[in-house]
Amino acid sequence: MKTTLNFTAYLIYLPVVIALTWYVAHTLFRNSKVFMLDIFHGKTDMAFSTNSLFKTGFYLLNLGFGLWIMRIAVEILDSRSMLEILSTKIGGFSIYLGFMLFFNLYLFFRGRRISKQKSKAVETIEKPPVNTEIK
Amino acid sequence: MNVLAYILYLAITYIITFRVGLLFYRNGKVYILHLFQGNEKLSNAVNRLLLVGYYLLNLGYAAVMISTWETVHNIEEVLVSVVSMTGWIMLTLATIHFLNMTVIYLFSIQRKYFNHHKN
Repeated sequence: MKTTLNFTAYLIYLPVVIALTWYVAHTLFRNSKVFMLDIFHGKTDMAFSTNSLFKTGFYLLNLGFGLWIMRIAVEILDSRSMLEILSTKIGGFSIYLGFMLFFNLYLFFRGRRISKQKSKAVETIEKPPVNTEIK
Repeated sequence: MNVLAYILYLAITYIITFRVGLLFYRNGKVYILHLFQGNEKLSNAVNRLLLVGYYLLNLGYAAVMISTWETVHNIEEVLVSVVSMTGWIMLTLATIHFLNMTVIYLFSIQRKYFNHHKN
């Protein structure tokens, strides 16, 4: 039986991907609580449940993608090509994770800006300038 | 070997679906309560119905996906097929989840619009 190194490659790839996703999600969503509290004007329950919903979605999306692309189509015969293929895969996945991280950050900043604009608009509606009311 | 793959796949998928459903159930409560303006009875009922619908949809989909499985011969192929199928299920779960969040967001915008124009 011809031995290939595919199985070893999978056994290396899986823990790396899972650990990487866990680390990114953990860091991102520990720090996003501040944004969420800002967006929901300090409503703690709403902010924290939104945070954990986003976290679940992030895990599902990225772990799902990482697992889905695990299959290596070629037969790996020596350790050099295994290392090369693995580094391409893991590097690609971590670039993808980085883009996801920045996309999430963009969403948080955008939500914060919109919520600030809204609260400003509400303030001006509730307290109209005095002159206009006399007319 | 296929049977081993199915058992592994079903176990992993069902655990993930169950956990994620529970998470959604707990965290979605606040939203639905907000949407129904604090009507606790109604929002609990709606939340539970949504959970059951979610379970039915997902477990059913996971079970149906087994029919498209290719024949596996050794442990390596078992690993590959189980992992990629689980990844696929997780991706669909994520898609459904983000669609749901968008729908809830749109609902909340509409409600604000109504309230604003009623007064």
